[in-house]
Amino acid sequence: MKLKKKHWVGLIVLGVEAVLAAGSARAENKFDYCLLCHGADANGNFGIRAPKISGVEPWYLSRQLENFAAGIRGVPGDDAAGHEMGPVGMRLKQEATLEAAVEYIGTLKSKPPAPTLTGDVAHGKQLYANCTSCHGAKGEGNQTLNAPALAGRSDWYLVVQLANYQKGVRGADERDIYGAQMRAIIATLPDEKAITDVVAYINTLK
Amino acid sequence: MNRTVSRRGFLNLAGAVGGSTAVYRAAMALGLMSQARAERPDIAALTKPKKVLILGGGISGLTAAYELSRKGYDVQVLEASFRAGGRNMTVRNGDRIDETGFPQVCNFDKDPDLYFNCGPARIPGHHKALLNYCKELDVELEPFINDNRNAWVQDDAMFGGKPIRAREYMTDSRGFVAELMAKSMKPESMTAPMTKDDYERLREYVKYLGNLDPSFKYVGSSNAGLARHDYTAPELLKTPLSASELLKSRFMLIMSFGETDDQAAMMMEPVGGMDRVVAGFLRKVGHLVQLQSQVQAIKVQGKGVEVTYRRNGEYVTAKADYVLNCIPMHLLAGIEHNFPKEYAAGFTAIPRGKLFKIGFQMKERFWEKEGIYGGISWTLQDIQQLWYPAHGIHRKKGVMLGAYTFDPNAGEKFARLAPADRFKLAIAQGEKIHPGYGSYVESGVSIAWHQMNHMLGCAAQWDEALWKKWFKTLQTPVGNHFLMGDQVSYHPGWQEGAMASAHHAIAEIDARERSSKNAVAA
Repeated sequence: MKLKKKHWVGLIVLGVEAVLAAGSARAENKFDYCLLCHGADANGNFGIRAPKISGVEPWYLSRQLENFAAGIRGVPGDDAAGHEMGPVGMRLKQEATLEAAVEYIGTLKSKPPAPTLTGDVAHGKQLYANCTSCHGAKGEGNQTLNAPALAGRSDWYLVVQLANYQKGVRGADERDIYGAQMRAIIATLPDEKAITDVVAYINTLK
Repeated sequence: MNRTVSRRGFLNLAGAVGGSTAVYRAAMALGLMSQARAERPDIAALTKPKKVLILGGGISGLTAAYELSRKGYDVQVLEASFRAGGRNMTVRNGDRIDETGFPQVCNFDKDPDLYFNCGPARIPGHHKALLNYCKELDVELEPFINDNRNAWVQDDAMFGGKPIRAREYMTDSRGFVAELMAKSMKPESMTAPMTKDDYERLREYVKYLGNLDPSFKYVGSSNAGLARHDYTAPELLKTPLSASELLKSRFMLIMSFGETDDQAAMMMEPVGGMDRVVAGFLRKVGHLVQLQSQVQAIKVQGKGVEVTYRRNGEYVTAKADYVLNCIPMHLLAGIEHNFPKEYAAGFTAIPRGKLFKIGFQMKERFWEKEGIYGGISWTLQDIQQLWYPAHGIHRKKGVMLGAYTFDPNAGEKFARLAPADRFKLAIAQGEKIHPGYGSYVESGVSIAWHQMNHMLGCAAQWDEALWKKWFKTLQTPVGNHFLMGDQVSYHPGWQEGAMASAHHAIAEIDARERSSKNAVAA
């Protein structure tokens, strides 16, 4: 069979694609399913309660993924979103791609999330005084204290997680040392209003 | 009961006892119903091609691609997954089940009868659009058995959890209720326009509805199944079951399932699996479908739409005159876009479905020895249903459905477990219906739709309030961007709904092209 010119062009295009598929880009593609839930550039998707994870400190992401993999997070009842993340953590651990996933998230274009809630910012500021020693005055976090940044996160997710600490859905597992610290301090945010107000204040931090 | 019975009251009563079929028949008899049917849009051929990007290669996307591409539209379908079809998904030997946390491979034997329909599995006779495409695309159909009165009903709340035949539950409970109705109906309680003659007819109706004896008492009926099937001896009726036990079960709420509009006989299925429908479309438009292309951004522009997607780890940007977007709304909410705020707000307003299914390959078709050929056994346990295949009858092996949950809590409960534990739970529950059930299981597949890659949800969970508030907004195009899929229909969870949404969108595109004089009449 004699190949016509346009067939050759087709073969070359196919060849280019094959090369692309085999290269490093291929490895990156493997984590596209992170974006499925966490949205474009992992900037979060409230639609399925998947928080923004781009821009989150790699050490904190690793620890949480390890927690999901070990069943420290995502196991207790009343945490549907956590239940969905649990198996993903396990899979990443099992396939030994957990750190590569964290690295991949670090390459994405993080953008500040749009605030989704309103609260009493002045009241929130007072409450936030209890948070500063670990999370910093600007919510910038402090790795030596194992405290992640709070500024620039999905505000609705902060509300959910604070409520989870309050209900013992998070931080109750005895292996969750840092979660236990949060469990202890959550008493300073006794109700829904306190949580909303403190997150409204965190929304003003840059 | 000393109330009067109006027409509407009678219909409600008939519905409670006889299911919607009884209501339907009664309403037809009273002349209250009419029927209407939507036509497939007649798309005009274009004089100058228009570029159409279809986001998602499920049923709505493939329908639109098929209809538009043959009328001169330049169509490309971007599909995020490694496969086309969306929730129309059939698995066989070696097939991948792409669940985000628990990827699985189907280990059924290699055999054309051993397949499992993970999504849609049945087609009612009035789903005209789908049936027309089946005919046009050479998708061979066979009968599907949905309602089988010989299958089991099991509920821990009645008879100590012992299963009974569906025919016994239905016949005895209807007999009991019909007897009560006959006793409580009085001619003087009938209001106009009910006449004395109506009253007599109504009593006859109730008598036949409940298989009552000439004195309007329920003393058992062969509809419940005979006590023995020895045809050399006189017929022996079963003793009616205790009505108070029957009424303990919430099965009464699903008893009429096989009589509902979409579930009543005659139902059909494609020979060899529901994905033969997808294969039929792909024979026509497969060359237009690009797989593994996950959309990241959509920008509606003055004259068209720009779409950015990831393929092989690269970002690719494409422009089109029209975009037909079938991406599940709950995923669309996480994509970059410039939609109006009030439109995008709808994406997060409609909850996603969390239906869950299990399929088991059984080494023996043990249910046939129990006189069950196709159909559904119902249980009030998490697994909710067992389906028996109507194809491959009397062959050695069969793939049956071992769980199909409608309740999102049950779906979540299964989804949290690793596949092996899902099977364990489903087998333990199945044992209550078929003792020794687990010993027949050779391999299984599980589909947690809300954890499936590129879907993360089953049918959108609309309700009356949501429909009222959001449907029109989401159905109305933004510029040349149209939202599609069964999610934008009044029939979510059905392929017919997906096709209706596609027809609706392409009819609008056709109207625009005709009005800009870029079309020649078909």
